[in-house]
Amino acid sequence: MRILIILVLVLNGGYASAHQWTPTYPKLKPSHITGVYTTKMELFNSRKEISYYSIGVFDKDWKKVPFVTSPSLLRISYLDKKIVDIYLHKKDKNKAHYICSKSKILSSVRDPSIIASRICSKIK
Amino acid sequence: MKKPLIILAALLTAPMLVSATTPISGMVASKCIVTTDTDGVYGNPSATKLSTASSDGGVLPIIRYDIITASAYNAKITTPMSFSSSPALGSETVTWTGSTVANQMSDAGMSVFNTNKVVYNNSSEFPLTIAGSVWFDVSSVATYGYNKAFPAGSYSAVVTAECIAQ
Repeated sequence: MRILIILVLVLNGGYASAHQWTPTYPKLKPSHITGVYTTKMELFNSRKEISYYSIGVFDKDWKKVPFVTSPSLLRISYLDKKIVDIYLHKKDKNKAHYICSKSKILSSVRDPSIIASRICSKIK
Repeated sequence: MKKPLIILAALLTAPMLVSATTPISGMVASKCIVTTDTDGVYGNPSATKLSTASSDGGVLPIIRYDIITASAYNAKITTPMSFSSSPALGSETVTWTGSTVANQMSDAGMSVFNTNKVVYNNSSEFPLTIAGSVWFDVSSVATYGYNKAFPAGSYSAVVTAECIAQ
């Protein structure tokens, strides 16, 4: 019985699922296209129940800033890592403040309480 | 005869010695990791109430934040204001309440997170001023209409855990 309790505790203790979005302070650099700036972000998914993440760029008042990435809705497998290239027009370069990734929950998920995670990096 | 053999052996073993000193490099960069430690469950202590409190038969969702660098991020946790899925609820309104508390922490000084917490709307924001790991307990309560019973069926709601660079 004691072994069973320890086993349950160990198995539960090992269960965790995380979302990582780095770097904390990305820098925009001129891209190979004139008038377009770019930065590289890295997404790591260790949330087993999540397969999709959306990317967003916002100003300091959390209003959306136009940007380009391919694709803006990322499909990423469990324990997979993806490099995301973000492109911004020169006119939006100084407006953009945050680059965020947010987990997307499928409508088919029927857990009683679901946790959505969002991590935002600040452009320096 | 012996001398060339010794030189040959020394030459053959030399690359092996070089490969034995291959360095391992790493870098600790500032980052915030959001981990869903425990999924929540709504208990149904009465026909009119759904609650994640253990005293109501529910399970509190627990979210862990791992902070590598102090004062680089704010944690923002938003409790639900609607169901993501539920049976048809008719015209009655659902009243929502919720709160978030830093409960377990890797550093005793992290209790300051609760002192410096800013609460607005249904969100709680914590400046993560100390590096380490912290576990936030999230409570959510939904009551239906004025003493109305929730229709039978399954209910889901979404808690949003955010990490925003300072």
